[in-house]
Amino acid sequence: MKNPDAIVIGAGILGACSALSLTNAGFKVLIIDRGTVASGTTGAGEGNILVSDKDPGPELTLALRSRDLWFELQEDVGDSFELEAKGGVVVARSDDSQLLALARSQSAHGVVTEKLDSKRLHELEPYLHPELSSGVFYPQDAQCQPMLAAARIIQSVIARGGQLVTRSKVLGFKTENDAMSSVLTSTGEYSAPIVINAAGTWAGEIASLAGSHLPVAPRRGFILVTEPAPQYIFHKVYDSEYVVNVASSDADLQTSTVVEGTRSGTILIGASRERVGFDSTMNYEIVRKLAAQATSLFPILRDVQLLRVYRGFRPYAPDHLPLIGEDYRVKGLWHSAGHEGAGIGLAPGSAALITDTILGRPSFMDPAAFSPKRFAEVLQ
Amino acid sequence: MIAVIGAGPAGLAAAMTVAQNNEQVVVIDSAPRPGGQYWRHLRKVEGYKSGRSDKYFRALEESKKIIYIRGAQIWSAVQSENAITLNYLAAGIESSITVAKVILATGAHDRALPFTGWERPGVMTPGAAQALLKGHNVIAGQKILITGTGPFLLPVAVGLAAAGAQVAGIIEAHSPLRWLRSPVALLLNPQKSIELIYYIRKIYQYKLKVSFNRAVIAYDGRAASIATVDTELRIKETVSKIDCDVIAAGWGFTPDVTLGGILGCQQVVDRDGTVIFAVDRDQRSSATNIWIAGEATGIGGADLALVEGRIAALSALGLAIPARLRLARYRLQKFATALQVSYPVGNGWQGWIALESKICRCEEVSLGEICASVSELSANDARTSKLFTRAGMGMCQGRICSRNVSEIIAKQTQCEVTEQERIGYSNRPISAPISLGALANGIK
Repeated sequence: MKNPDAIVIGAGILGACSALSLTNAGFKVLIIDRGTVASGTTGAGEGNILVSDKDPGPELTLALRSRDLWFELQEDVGDSFELEAKGGVVVARSDDSQLLALARSQSAHGVVTEKLDSKRLHELEPYLHPELSSGVFYPQDAQCQPMLAAARIIQSVIARGGQLVTRSKVLGFKTENDAMSSVLTSTGEYSAPIVINAAGTWAGEIASLAGSHLPVAPRRGFILVTEPAPQYIFHKVYDSEYVVNVASSDADLQTSTVVEGTRSGTILIGASRERVGFDSTMNYEIVRKLAAQATSLFPILRDVQLLRVYRGFRPYAPDHLPLIGEDYRVKGLWHSAGHEGAGIGLAPGSAALITDTILGRPSFMDPAAFSPKRFAEVLQ
Repeated sequence: MIAVIGAGPAGLAAAMTVAQNNEQVVVIDSAPRPGGQYWRHLRKVEGYKSGRSDKYFRALEESKKIIYIRGAQIWSAVQSENAITLNYLAAGIESSITVAKVILATGAHDRALPFTGWERPGVMTPGAAQALLKGHNVIAGQKILITGTGPFLLPVAVGLAAAGAQVAGIIEAHSPLRWLRSPVALLLNPQKSIELIYYIRKIYQYKLKVSFNRAVIAYDGRAASIATVDTELRIKETVSKIDCDVIAAGWGFTPDVTLGGILGCQQVVDRDGTVIFAVDRDQRSSATNIWIAGEATGIGGADLALVEGRIAALSALGLAIPARLRLARYRLQKFATALQVSYPVGNGWQGWIALESKICRCEEVSLGEICASVSELSANDARTSKLFTRAGMGMCQGRICSRNVSEIIAKQTQCEVTEQERIGYSNRPISAPISLGALANGIK
């Protein structure tokens, strides 16, 4: 492609959404990826589009808007990535006061919640352990098949005049007076005044190549995949500890239960979180822990066979907020990364924020909370 | 203690060697009976030297030095500083055993190639037909057509014919003249010629029809379509139809490298595209205290596996390895190379299949869907295509289709399958399914 208006680095979900958002705003977009479509964290996730696990604040505002944008995206590119508003059921394992307090504050900020007594909880999830008696239902929680979503969105970008170059590794940047001028890659040099860094867990490396800094680090997670089973699980079901762990900054291993069925009949079980760098060594104790937690919620899963385990690296920022906005040093370099485990859910909203900011038009929220500039002083 | 994983020829030879040297050995095998894929006799089956497994089976039963754990699936393994822990399932119960040294003899399974109609009942691998016969005393069908490539087709056909099966023919894809490319290997292995003569006599005795340079390219449930093929397996022309209700099609073998992969043993890609372990002259893997013998170090047949098993055991025991064993291995490795040269599996099979043919049978993914993942969704490697289509994600975890999917994608994208990709699709972090309940019970 000669002279694109913008280059997106990363063909994961954030890159895909950014590319489509810019394309729809009239930009000619080139997407490059050192691997292929969805070959990083997008290809290692469950496809969560959640509002239930977010405390009131800027991230919840972004999540709510993103969730609606997902359904608009489905209109735009077609019903082709298994988007489903399946709803989330959060179960209190013992004391439910923290969970109910969170639900109350969330509902004051636009999240639809329904407090579940024992009867209603077991109506929604009949195979839950009979002793579990309290929970909250979040009908807005949704799910998609993230790899397909990225691929279908990129397919639309290409159909609308964009281009995708895979196996193209960024080697460096050319800037003029601290403004972006071109990207040097293993497949050649591409010039554009606007570059979106959507390299996910590897976004920090990209920023370094531009002489800037972005504090994104990996937070490893394992997901268990079972054999196809009859439908035992009807929503995205997790325990209330999940919300606590998502927000935690602890480097040590944390596990909490997330269980859900998929269209192919397999059951996905998460979620572990630990900061061990890009170490992909298998840890069978984590596998056991996740299995134990899932079967304690759903005893019927005891007889279901584990087939596969996969590992992924969530892009994690020190304050758990994504990094969305222009670089603090290089003009024309925009970041959309660091969404940790919520990248799928937050992608369309993040893309809209960037496009709106680039065009100088008002957006659905003030993006200041996500600005990468918030780390500039610490880093300099 | 030494653990031997697998009770096929390599594992049995290793275990017996350890026991004969008065050391304790535990043999862990996934099958209910010893013998692996090749020696799974319920009763004596007609075939060249088919009685030679007897002494190994006897040792397994009688030697006080051998602990034999049968029907045990090792699902994971962990190496710590001086020990290796193997976690296995037997009858749904998880146990684990910690040993100082491990000899992996995990063998191989038949490679299956898709053809139009291969999803139909009655289509199986020669190994499966042989397992039904040897293991369960069952003849797979009324009229069995044996096809594919390689000398392994012969004992399967003869065994079936001797058991009373009607063998509709042996359709071999290559010409026996290809052996002329490997005169040294033949001269080094005169006993292999004797074995061949044995099978030729049996073929005459049972009046089996053998044809060369042909392959089964389609099956409609009643008859197989036979085409002449070139050395790359590309169709030249369709020549006949043969009535049959079973097609046993085998295209070489795929070594099982999962467990060694979990333990971090270095793997390489062999000249035939199979992923095997790199071992030194003492069968030692790259990982400390792990030796590997048999098909997982290169497809070579039972004779080579027996020799490798003995070498691995002697090395694990810290004993000297006699020169005659090394020489025997050298000769048989030459023969194994000649096998690869004589019976290559080219990419022409991709022209046998209709777009609607299933490539991944577990998840029912068709050739058309795999091609669309490339043309529509920009997948340019097999991993991405698999994520889009679910090919290789089913019960067998891609053991059957992974290589085929990779080769299809490579052709679609006009690339070669990389070594990294071949090693990638041959490995998985869980080497056998395990129930979530068993996993939960095993928490420390």
